[in-house]
Amino acid sequence: MTREVSGDMTKSNLFSKIKDFIHSDAFIFLLPAIILIIVFYLIPIVVSVYMSFTPLKNWNIARYIHEFVGFENYWRFFYMVTHDPTVRPIFITTVVFILVTLAINVLGGLGLAIATFFMGEREASSTQLLWLLPRMTPIAVYSMIWYYFFHGSAIGTLNSILMSLGIIHKPIDWGQSIIPWGPWMIIIFVNGLVGVSYGMIVFTSAISNIPKELVIAARVDGASNWSITKNILIPLLKWHIVYVTTWQMLSLLTTYDHIFLLVEWGLVNRYYGTTWALYIYNMAFTAAEKDLGLAAAAGVILVIVGALLGLLALKILGFEKMVKEPRGDI
Amino acid sequence: MVVVRLMNVTKVFRTGVVGVKDINLTVNHKEFMALLGPSGSGKSTTLYLIAGIYRPSSGKIFFDDRDVTNLPPKDRNIGLVFQNWALYPHMRVYDNIAFPLRIKKLPENEIRKKVLETAKMLRIEKLLNRYPWQLSGGQQQRVAIARALVKEPDVLLLDEPLSNLDAQLRISVRAELKRLQKKLGITTIYVTHDQAEALAMADRIAVINNGRIIQIGTPEQVYTKPATVFVGGFLGNPPMNFIEGEIVEEKGKLYIVIAGQKIFAPAHYEPIIRRGGWRKVVVGFRPEDTMILPECRDRNECVKGRVYAVEPMGREYIVVADLGGELVKAIVPRTLVLTDDQEICLCPSLEKIVLFDPKTEKSLEVLAAEKE
Repeated sequence: MTREVSGDMTKSNLFSKIKDFIHSDAFIFLLPAIILIIVFYLIPIVVSVYMSFTPLKNWNIARYIHEFVGFENYWRFFYMVTHDPTVRPIFITTVVFILVTLAINVLGGLGLAIATFFMGEREASSTQLLWLLPRMTPIAVYSMIWYYFFHGSAIGTLNSILMSLGIIHKPIDWGQSIIPWGPWMIIIFVNGLVGVSYGMIVFTSAISNIPKELVIAARVDGASNWSITKNILIPLLKWHIVYVTTWQMLSLLTTYDHIFLLVEWGLVNRYYGTTWALYIYNMAFTAAEKDLGLAAAAGVILVIVGALLGLLALKILGFEKMVKEPRGDI
Repeated sequence: MVVVRLMNVTKVFRTGVVGVKDINLTVNHKEFMALLGPSGSGKSTTLYLIAGIYRPSSGKIFFDDRDVTNLPPKDRNIGLVFQNWALYPHMRVYDNIAFPLRIKKLPENEIRKKVLETAKMLRIEKLLNRYPWQLSGGQQQRVAIARALVKEPDVLLLDEPLSNLDAQLRISVRAELKRLQKKLGITTIYVTHDQAEALAMADRIAVINNGRIIQIGTPEQVYTKPATVFVGGFLGNPPMNFIEGEIVEEKGKLYIVIAGQKIFAPAHYEPIIRRGGWRKVVVGFRPEDTMILPECRDRNECVKGRVYAVEPMGREYIVVADLGGELVKAIVPRTLVLTDDQEICLCPSLEKIVLFDPKTEKSLEVLAAEKE
């Protein structure tokens, strides 16, 4: 009896709370964001989840949309990952790609931000501009540059340099012949170079917010650049490192634009140059038989993995501590 | 301990801004020297030059006979305290104080001994486990001073260390800091824009304006014998009064005419006025050296004015008087009852008057000394 009453109470409380929220100024303020999230995030997720339970193929919506196959797509996906020799490399590649590129992005960004901090103003800004170039270059143009750089024939920049130096005598097909290191190296290199600038910008602006007196005080005490970096800059950049790591990890998990072009142009091996996100894209849009149910299932799992990894990263790196200590309005 | 000497030091920044120009300054062994000036005057620049954070564009800096002009800060053995104290926010108080010693790679037990000693001296030994954000402003300031002192520096440099404290605390810390400095006998250079702080704490004050040192002297000298109109107007609260006057001679006696009224020229100025042939002068007199009488007797020591406003300050009243269109201030005892627009008689103490040249704004004594 009592339990039911209290249950009703909470229910009506919740409704009245939602009602209050809809009538509040905050709701109006949040409305644009709420609409965007619903249209571009929630609806696609619901559609994807729905699709993952249907045997939808080749966009033949009329035929398959009312057919339900339960978790069959999910079982098929797991079976392919564990047994299909053309799918397994994709997942190994995804793990290697994310781990190595993430390390390059975060450490590279941090290193650049700190290095430019100790440089003169002019050197610092030109260094930063240089590292921003990959970010500013259109994806296709940027991919094209590295396509020619790593090209497997004698016209490839890397090959022709090595050949003219006499280190190699005939061109090496970097992305197709040295499996898996060749394609891995290329996709990690290309994406790593783009991603470094993000960390660099976040860390640079964070460093510029550290009071200069802290550094001067350490300098007066005789601290070297390394000691200032280790004892002052990095501890004070902790939260920014958490943020950049989490953010970059999630964006690496879902990125496929550069990789798509490199695979399509045949620069890198199709199996050891494809990541999970690109695999889903290919299955849904470019494969001969577009297995949309399977693609949707793989996509749903990718979203779940992303969410879990994000939460895990924030947990490990102590995000809740950052949230608990408000430093603004006390 | 150390004598700090700056010889013709000039600092021009890369942007072309002149930080300081031709600074000559000697800070003696164990001396407490205040660098006093308004913001942007170059006082902090001077401090950073002594610290080695800036390199002078020209000139030399000596610690005793050692030329430190081109030495980096770490080789000068200085302790530096900033206005915002610059405590490392991610380190506990203990680690903050220990930091300079850890950089020197001292053994940990020796570090511990020194940190505890210094903390005890500044009465912060109970706070060693806290983080800076858990401390009050006064406590943070002590930690900053402890961090500067723990490495036993030859010179202690303080950059407005009290200006982030509230007014009450500032006054109590001021006495404490002065005592600490005397006890340690450490050569100290203290930058401030607060004239009261400089007067209260320093053995000598160097007044800086527009990148130049205007006057160096004991608080007494700088206060009573300002070298320029600027110094007189910068020190004191309320500052020195200035009013234009004209020298006239009648029957072999020199008078100054202020607001159409004659007063005797101060006796000690007579030879200077005669030798320099001065006609137009600026008369400076301090509010507390000015008496107010209800009416003037014809004594040629006072001038008639009118009460413009009375500001009760608790301990005394400040009377703002209208002297022929110029406003001047006088400090009077609370017992004097005055009403607005009342006619009064203003009597600046003649022996404490300072006369300035209206053109250069330098005092006549200084100009006379420059000529010799």
